Amino acid sequence: MEQEILSLQGLAKEQLAAIENGEQLEEFRIRFLGRKGQFSSLMKGLGKVPVEDKPRLGQMANKAKKEVEALYTEKQQTLAGGSSRATQKSGAIDLTLPGRRPQSGKLHPVTQIMNEVCSIFESLGFSVAEGPDVEHDHYNFEALNIPAHHPARDMHDTFYVSDSILLRTHTSPMQARIMETQQPPLRVIAPGKVYRCDSDITHTPMFHQVEGFLVDRQVSFADLKGILTTFTQKMFEKDLDLRFRPSFFPFTEPSAEVDIACVICGGSGCRVCKRTGWLEILGAGMIDPEVFKMVGYDPEIYSGFAFGLGIERIAMLKYGIDDIRLYYENDLRFLSQF
Amino acid sequence: MKFTLSWLKEYVDTGDLSPEALAEHLTMLGLEVEGVTEVFPELKPLKTAKVLSVEPHPNADSLHLCEVAVGEEILSIVCGAPNVRKDLVTAIALPGTIMPDGMKIKPSKVRGVKSNGMLCSERELGLSDSHTGIMELPDDLAHGLPLRSALGLDDLQIEVDLTPNRPDCASVIGVAREVAGITRTPLTPPVSKAVLEPDTCEFTVDIEDSEQCGRYAARLIKGVTVAPSPWWIRKRLLSIGLRPINNVVDITNLVMMEYGQPLHAFDYDTLAGRQILVRFPKSSEKTFTTLDGVERTLEQDMLMICDAAQPVAVAGVMGGLNSEVTETTTNILLESACFNAISIRRTARRLNLPSEASYRFERGVDPDGCITAMERAASLLSEVAGGTVVPGGVDRYGGIRPLNSQTLRISRTSALLGIDLDYDKIADLLQSIGIRCVEKDKDTLWVNPPSFRIDIEREVDLVEEVARLIGYDNIPTSLPTVSLSYPEQDPQRRLRSQTADLLTSIGFFEAINYSFVTEKHLSLMQLAENDLRRKQVALLNPLSEEQSVMRTMLLPALLENVKRNINFQKNNVKLFELGKVFSPQGENEQPIEKERLTGILSGRRDGDASSLYFSDENVDILDAKGGLEELLENLRLQGCSATDLVEFRIPEEEEVEPYSDAAQCLLLDSKKGALGQLARLQPEVAKLFGIKQELFFFDLDFELLCSLQAIPKNFSSLPVFPAVKRDIALLVPVEVKAGDLLETVRSSKEKFIEHCEIFDVYQGKSLEKGTKSVAISLTYRSPTKTLTEKNVNKSHTKIIQKLTSQFNGSLREG
Repeated sequence: MEQEILSLQGLAKEQLAAIENGEQLEEFRIRFLGRKGQFSSLMKGLGKVPVEDKPRLGQMANKAKKEVEALYTEKQQTLAGGSSRATQKSGAIDLTLPGRRPQSGKLHPVTQIMNEVCSIFESLGFSVAEGPDVEHDHYNFEALNIPAHHPARDMHDTFYVSDSILLRTHTSPMQARIMETQQPPLRVIAPGKVYRCDSDITHTPMFHQVEGFLVDRQVSFADLKGILTTFTQKMFEKDLDLRFRPSFFPFTEPSAEVDIACVICGGSGCRVCKRTGWLEILGAGMIDPEVFKMVGYDPEIYSGFAFGLGIERIAMLKYGIDDIRLYYENDLRFLSQF
Repeated sequence: MKFTLSWLKEYVDTGDLSPEALAEHLTMLGLEVEGVTEVFPELKPLKTAKVLSVEPHPNADSLHLCEVAVGEEILSIVCGAPNVRKDLVTAIALPGTIMPDGMKIKPSKVRGVKSNGMLCSERELGLSDSHTGIMELPDDLAHGLPLRSALGLDDLQIEVDLTPNRPDCASVIGVAREVAGITRTPLTPPVSKAVLEPDTCEFTVDIEDSEQCGRYAARLIKGVTVAPSPWWIRKRLLSIGLRPINNVVDITNLVMMEYGQPLHAFDYDTLAGRQILVRFPKSSEKTFTTLDGVERTLEQDMLMICDAAQPVAVAGVMGGLNSEVTETTTNILLESACFNAISIRRTARRLNLPSEASYRFERGVDPDGCITAMERAASLLSEVAGGTVVPGGVDRYGGIRPLNSQTLRISRTSALLGIDLDYDKIADLLQSIGIRCVEKDKDTLWVNPPSFRIDIEREVDLVEEVARLIGYDNIPTSLPTVSLSYPEQDPQRRLRSQTADLLTSIGFFEAINYSFVTEKHLSLMQLAENDLRRKQVALLNPLSEEQSVMRTMLLPALLENVKRNINFQKNNVKLFELGKVFSPQGENEQPIEKERLTGILSGRRDGDASSLYFSDENVDILDAKGGLEELLENLRLQGCSATDLVEFRIPEEEEVEPYSDAAQCLLLDSKKGALGQLARLQPEVAKLFGIKQELFFFDLDFELLCSLQAIPKNFSSLPVFPAVKRDIALLVPVEVKAGDLLETVRSSKEKFIEHCEIFDVYQGKSLEKGTKSVAISLTYRSPTKTLTEKNVNKSHTKIIQKLTSQFNGSLREG
């Protein structure tokens, strides 16, 4: 009996090794492992052995069958793994199948850019302050040297909640709020949502801004240029050409607008840069003495600069987004791209 | 502000500057050039043509057959214009030309006769409203020329986006002055400085309040013939997009564009009492018809120009119909004034009547420039409209501004700009644009800004001028020297970022929605009338109803996001938003802004992960719970110590939100109050948002969450001795809560229990009705020794006894 078991095991192993396809394997299964197969007959034959040998032989037969079954399964997997890869060592697994990926989500592109902007300024020693979305007219305008009926108010299409309460049109109110309660030196950025009643292909009524300012003794326009040049080059990860040109904001003087060489065409002129080769990305300037006076700083002692930039605009330039309305539709086909 | 290159060149020599270089220079001076475009590009294909002969059309009385010469070519053309005649020089559109209105000219047959093009009227060319006949060009003009150059329209229009501080450049001469500073050539205005003979005239001018009207000058021009302007004037206006009206009105507009001084011409004979009075309306004067024919409602603080009887113009905004210059006008009263900027701005706003005049007045015009511009207009009216300028006039100059002479410190300028400057450099720059200055002492200049630079009031304004003229690009770049300090971090900001990162790592996408929403959301959410969230901050001037109130909850907009995604076949959605909600306080008080965290889950649990490996099961309430548990543990508020800072709780009936499914709803409590909830959205509510699939959400008070003191991280030593695992399969009545079973084990205080968890819950055919099988895995470990069977058995038996007796259960066989 012992011999029978061993020879059946040997035969099965031998045959299994020679099998090349599924058909042969199935034949093998029926012949050896099926209900009426040779191992079944062997087991039945165990009934006839002497009682004292039964446990030992039974165990042995079981072990033999298990071993063949294991080899059979292995063969099955090898064949399933594709005959073209039969020669490969790891043959049982098709490595061209996609990986087993758990699904993760993504941060909104506005948040991603916002985080990047903030971290660049934080690395330069700026602290971050946030303020209310719904502001007093005073902080949004008056404290920034924009009195009622000033033509500069035309630059801000404002949503009003009451006569003196409005949705902030920029994050600049934080300039006044912080200077009111703290003394220089100050290095602060104020990120947040801002609102303007304007809606078309290039404007959404809500967008995100980062306002920043630095106040100390002997801060100059050259320093402003230095900080913003550093920021821009870090943000766009290359030595982009940059130009500063005169502009007007009531709360800064001199005021500047900052353009970067068009990231789309590299400066040769395209649709995005309106053929100028330049893209406007920042407004900035030296803080106006009037603003200092209103918070009780002596403009003869302190000077400083402020700047503001639009996050959506930077995301558009950096990622090539061509329709600003996509930002607030929260379409997964959009969100999953960044 | 628009002007043409040829117009600019009339007042300044642009030297060898190309139009592109000129535009670049202006932009870098702060006059941002928005565009340099060809004037009337649509007229490019048109040519001049000379009519050689005119014959009647054989089949139509009103048509003519013409032979027309266009350079070398002779064409036959059918023309219906009454003024077509031999030797007329006119404009022709040859076949293939696309007309300004978009029509394409093709060779065609008109009543059986072939026509090879079209002779054009001024209206067809977009040059005027005249359509009584074809265009009449000078007889001596050659034919076959491009029409644009023949008309002098071969020009470039330059548009500058002016900043509010530079009203002086809302004029061609103002821009020319800046260019003169670049090219260092003299400025050549048509009239440089004029004086008005003092009052020797037949009319009077009175100003009620010189605060409102700093200066009012006027003079008479008699005997004008009102007619269309000559082509050179019309051309200038057309080239910058202004519509020519008649010679008198066109001249006032032309001079306004030249000098930046708005002018107004009254029909003198309509003015009662030969009198001008600048005053506010009387209470009886409630309406006024402006010259566009619209009746306007007046308010008591709108400044009016009146005659002896009634208002005749809205000061600085628009003239009145009652004193308008018409074809029959012969005598003109010409106004050149300077009004209060704020007053004009307010009036133009309230009448919703922005005009070229109000644009300039509300930014401020040069009070000293009134007479010069008036002189220029008067001489043109005499030259072009045949009028006689009556000598003398009225000049009421009450609101005299002090001469704003200032000092400028060289050291201050250098320090603010970060560049070394000296007297010669600064003086040279300022004088190049007409700002006179002299040396006061070693460090100081006396500067006398010209009257047209009303924006220069302070030293810093001069610093800006210096910076602008040096060129910002020529100022060096440096980094500020500031003392080192640690930027303080806002803990809420840090937690927000931690939360967002964790949620994205477990499959959520971040959404950002508008802060303003529609009020209708709250009804869709089934909120009760007295729900506090119904109290919203409303916008006074919303863009639409959809964006008219500040949100009090984040969930509705997220539901709209889900709907949108389903529409685009993205059915598996996990979104979260971290954003503010707003609740009103008193009138003229800022609302309370609170940050909330809301998440939404719907569709397949594993999102779009491959079906090859992941099941197609959909999310359920426990996914929402699991997400929060993961977050709370990550923020160290739960699962990090013996006592949790936040706990889930099954709500009482009255605590369930109207939009939540009461059977699948959990509250989250903290020591500091209710933190939020998670639930299955009522299917009826989902339906109202157009969503048919099941939705789950969580909604937390993020500020409260941030205020909870996180459990500090604390190391506990790694176990040295092996653990023993034992499983219990318990049959209990179906009502028994898994949480209670675990709690019983945890609170049993049996020795060595390190951990217990449920690893299977089964309910089915093989079990007795009303029972379920709960499989619990227990881990035993001792910190001091290797546990023996005996040690474990003792505890384990006790636990089993406790569970079976307390929950009326039994051990499952097998």
